[in-house]
Amino acid sequence: MSDEPSVVIVLDGDSRHYGPGETLSGEYWIESVDSSQVASIEASVLWRTEGKGDEDMAVHEFWRRRAEEGQLLEPRRPERFSTVLPRSPLSYDGQIIKLRWCFRVRAFLHRGKDVVGEREFRLGAVSPSHVHG
Amino acid sequence: MNLARAFRYYGKKRGHRRTGSPKLGSVGEAIFFAALLLLGCAGLVWLFSTFVVPEWRVNHEFIEAPCKVLKTEIVESMGKDGMLFAPRLTLEYNIDGKTSMRSESRYDVHGGYFDNRDSARAVLNDFRLYTRSRDNRYPCWYDPSDPQLVVLTRGYGWWVWVGFTVPVSFVIIGAGGLIYALLRWGKSVERRAAIARRASARRLFHTGDNGDYPFVPQGADMTNSPGTKLKFRLPMAGAAGWALFGMLTFCVAWNGAVTVLIVVVIRGFLAGHADWPLTLFVIPFLAIGIAAIVCFLRRLLTAAGIGPTRLEISDHPLQPGDLYRLFLTQTGRLRIKLLRVSLVCEEAATYRQGTNARSETREVYRQELFRQEDVDIVDQPFETEIELTVPRRAMHSFAAEHNEINWTLVVDGEPAGWQHYRRAFPVVISPAAGGQP
Repeated sequence: MSDEPSVVIVLDGDSRHYGPGETLSGEYWIESVDSSQVASIEASVLWRTEGKGDEDMAVHEFWRRRAEEGQLLEPRRPERFSTVLPRSPLSYDGQIIKLRWCFRVRAFLHRGKDVVGEREFRLGAVSPSHVHG
Repeated sequence: MNLARAFRYYGKKRGHRRTGSPKLGSVGEAIFFAALLLLGCAGLVWLFSTFVVPEWRVNHEFIEAPCKVLKTEIVESMGKDGMLFAPRLTLEYNIDGKTSMRSESRYDVHGGYFDNRDSARAVLNDFRLYTRSRDNRYPCWYDPSDPQLVVLTRGYGWWVWVGFTVPVSFVIIGAGGLIYALLRWGKSVERRAAIARRASARRLFHTGDNGDYPFVPQGADMTNSPGTKLKFRLPMAGAAGWALFGMLTFCVAWNGAVTVLIVVVIRGFLAGHADWPLTLFVIPFLAIGIAAIVCFLRRLLTAAGIGPTRLEISDHPLQPGDLYRLFLTQTGRLRIKLLRVSLVCEEAATYRQGTNARSETREVYRQELFRQEDVDIVDQPFETEIELTVPRRAMHSFAAEHNEINWTLVVDGEPAGWQHYRRAFPVVISPAAGGQP
């Protein structure tokens, strides 16, 4: 087991496919890190594009927790999340554009590093693109 | 996937993705805008102290007194762009109505420099030298703290305020950019995106995407024209008129320039001293000009001879899996060897390569909806009804800043004796209502 901090994300039902308007829920925690090391933790449900073009990205849901004075975060304690997914844009595997949905966690450590973990899932059931003659 | 990231000083291009140091980028951005802001502020201070404050003092603090003009002359000095000429007048006036003072006036508080002698002379022509018989006096204004400083005109120069536009724009851009950089400072890309989304949701007139379907275009242009037979008449993309106008402009500009060269060449021949290097130089340019004219005429004949194509649709926006009716009308007097209507999906991506913005489009889906050979259009327009079933699992239309997925109904025609033509009618496909995985 590595001593590097890492993010663990568990989606309820261990599902990777969701429909528009369905609820995405689960929990996350950060391993190999002490409470005193973490300044803030951000969790977001977002989509981003991959492919030929510059990246487009939008956040559907965003949560942020930060260590207050005298009150530390407990990164190793599982934190639950839940959100209703939007109707669009749907996940897509095109030829020069791919659209990916994911749940992403970013923990900011006091020593200037940030630890990022994400779990991809599919929204909708769009076919991969292919040219018909 | 887990990533531990420390401060990164450099950027790399990894395949289609560019990595870089966001923190270093933010620092550079903040320094750049702070420098602009400082430059703007320094410019404002300089303009105020050099122009506004002296003018204000002349108008509010200088004391008016009658003066005698004893001598006039034009002083020359070398400026950055050549000689400068300034009218100078030796005046005699009384301070506090008692003490007589003799001083050389600079006409206005800024020195009154002109870039030509005539303008300086015109100023002096307004003043006649004092003679005892005329007893002519003019109003002047002197500085009570330095009575030697005297001017013969006052007011505010409008050009000073025009000069303010430069530092003011530096201040606005610098302050705006600095505030933007500070607001982004220390924020993750997700947090910035969340802030941007909230700001977008608060906007009073939210335009662009469809409220129910984020990042799906509204397609309002496609439903604002009713059809004669079906519900909507679809607008055509990239109207041919503008393309023709662009080609005509190019033809006129190019061939105009080439004509000048040809005239020079012909004059040389007629005068008996032919310029062969210039003649050889002109030939390829002339060939391009002729090709442009031929291309323009062919397009013009195609546009004029084929006639408009109209496409109407039974409903809009489209839903995956649903059936729609189309009504195609093709006018003109011609014989079309092959007429096709297709539903086409294209992916369009824009990206930066160095300092250039590039774009790439790729057709990823094509469904032929209608195909007919040997269409004769004589007296009546060609009309036909077509059925369209949107693929059940089709990707919806999508529009983000750098990436788009566009659906189009494309009419392709191959007229006999004419160039092939293509007319595209954009449509919007919404995500399947209540779509399940």
